Amino acid sequence: MDFTLPESAREVRRGVAAICARYDMAYWQRCEEQKRWPEEVWAELAKGGWLGLAVPEEYGGGGQGLLELTVATETLAASGAAGGSAFTYVLTPGFGALTLARHGSAAQKAELLPRLAAGELETCFALTEPDAGSNSLAISTSARRDGDEYVVNGQKIWITGVQRAARMLLVTRTIPAAEARPRTSGLTVFLVDVPQAVAQGRLSYRPIPKMGANTTPSNMVFIDDLRLRATDVVGEVDQGALVLWDVLNPERILLGASALGGAEVALRAAVAYAKEREVFGRPIGANQAIAFPLAQVKAKIELARLMLYKAAWLFDRREPCATEANIAKLTASQAAWEAADHAFQTHGGMAYSLEYPIARLLADARVGRVAPVTEELLLNYLATQVLGLPRSF
Amino acid sequence: MNIVVCVKQVPDTATERKLSSKDNTLDRDAADGVINELCEYAVEEALKIKEAHGGEVTVLTMGPAKATDTIRKALAMGADKAVHLVDDALHGSDALGTSHALAQTLKKIGFDLVILGSESTDARTGVLAAMLAERLGTPQLTLARKVDIDGSAISIERVTDYGYDKVTATLPAVVSVVEKINEPRYPSFKGIMAAKKKPVQTFGVADAEIDTAQVGLASSWSEVTEFAVAPPRAAGTIVKDEGDGGAKAAEFLASKKFI
Repeated sequence: MDFTLPESAREVRRGVAAICARYDMAYWQRCEEQKRWPEEVWAELAKGGWLGLAVPEEYGGGGQGLLELTVATETLAASGAAGGSAFTYVLTPGFGALTLARHGSAAQKAELLPRLAAGELETCFALTEPDAGSNSLAISTSARRDGDEYVVNGQKIWITGVQRAARMLLVTRTIPAAEARPRTSGLTVFLVDVPQAVAQGRLSYRPIPKMGANTTPSNMVFIDDLRLRATDVVGEVDQGALVLWDVLNPERILLGASALGGAEVALRAAVAYAKEREVFGRPIGANQAIAFPLAQVKAKIELARLMLYKAAWLFDRREPCATEANIAKLTASQAAWEAADHAFQTHGGMAYSLEYPIARLLADARVGRVAPVTEELLLNYLATQVLGLPRSF
Repeated sequence: MNIVVCVKQVPDTATERKLSSKDNTLDRDAADGVINELCEYAVEEALKIKEAHGGEVTVLTMGPAKATDTIRKALAMGADKAVHLVDDALHGSDALGTSHALAQTLKKIGFDLVILGSESTDARTGVLAAMLAERLGTPQLTLARKVDIDGSAISIERVTDYGYDKVTATLPAVVSVVEKINEPRYPSFKGIMAAKKKPVQTFGVADAEIDTAQVGLASSWSEVTEFAVAPPRAAGTIVKDEGDGGAKAAEFLASKKFI
């Protein structure tokens, strides 16, 4: 058994950290406050090939896998970008490049992968609907066959990054949920040219005001009679679930990685403050009431990291990874929340001041416990699928 | 064009740097080794010249075995191959000894243009480019903030206290660069992975026909006889302004002979 990260992943950590070292906490704070995309970091990551890590070499990428993307995501978040920076890696390198590399047609790969690898073209992913969040198989956005084309109608919510996306991976039902046997059948994933659909008036979106992660807007999306071609299908018609698992597992792993990086940032801030802040003539970190929770967070971070890397490693080997991805997402998000919460407690009243980064860390960490999947659903998966307990629904 | 960039591994300035109590030389194991910052500018300039005029960039370093990390960094930036001059006999060489060793190696591997950073952050002698040019019998164009090449003609803008001098010469030549010259690129992921497979040739003193009487600690013309840790910075003087702050500040400056 060898726990050594492969050299490629170690180089990713060094390379991404070297770029991130030029952007401090204040930079990320400004991006959040000004609700702006971290253009500068994005450009540098793109130029160095750090976004295209998982794109095959023949399409201009780094020829690596989800493990390298995981390490990159974690490194970026741990540099100070924290959990809200997750979208840098989740939207395009994850949703777009990783999915198309595995499930795209030859034409889709040739057209899009080189530009995805270079960071020139961005993507987003649309699954969740107002009435289908946790129960995502119940989506009702429909794609009806009409000659050689499909006509799509429906509504999506919490679709992040539509504004910058040239393509959307859109999950539809070609068989209504009520008629699909098994429930996982009848799903079809399409590639949508977003600017074109917007220009045709077939797709519109409205950002949702949100309490954190404001570097990238999340939106309601409305689709009316959007016509798509058969060549726009990713994977097979009605077999979209196969594509979906390869989107949702990496999503959990990458969001887990950004949560983990966020936990590192919060812990670092808390430890620094606990060493420096003196009350009753000694640094507050000398008090076990301060020190022990931080030590406990450290333990949870290390445990979550092991499971994240294992889940990514399994995915890259094309082995089942859902259990590991779910455990990793659950524990990393919990570690992030506990780190932010204890960082708050350690900073005392000053945590409430926006001069300190704690508010941003707290908001970023909190959403990780419900997105992209709630803690309860993750626990439910473990209870029913792993422990074999009876289902409640 | 055959461009050779001399790079040096130096102790990371972010870590505590120490001298060895054994022979008063730099303790290279005590601190993390990193590429000397100005050498990155030299590598960048070499790559730019190659991109504009074609040719090949070879990295040359003299240093202990662990200097391979620095070689890989330069290769990751885009250099084509490297020569690592490594031999216990070279330990403790001063600038004269180092210039002899590097000049002998350069004669062996051949060059049209040698580029160096203008100084290293550890020894800071800043004389190596001049010494190399002298030993190689080529023109020296030092402290360049800009380099132009036209056929076999090379011209630089040499940084001076009053602005810059335009210096021209004919290749082959030795150039040293300052940090104003460019913005060194970050190694890309592909560059880093490719660097692991690029050829690194190892030279010892015999391979490069280096005269061992001219190198190493015993042959150095300079010697560190003793050293001490710098005293911690003393507290400054606070002048309290009670309406006469200006006069007090002037008195202070006068007492230190600043005015």
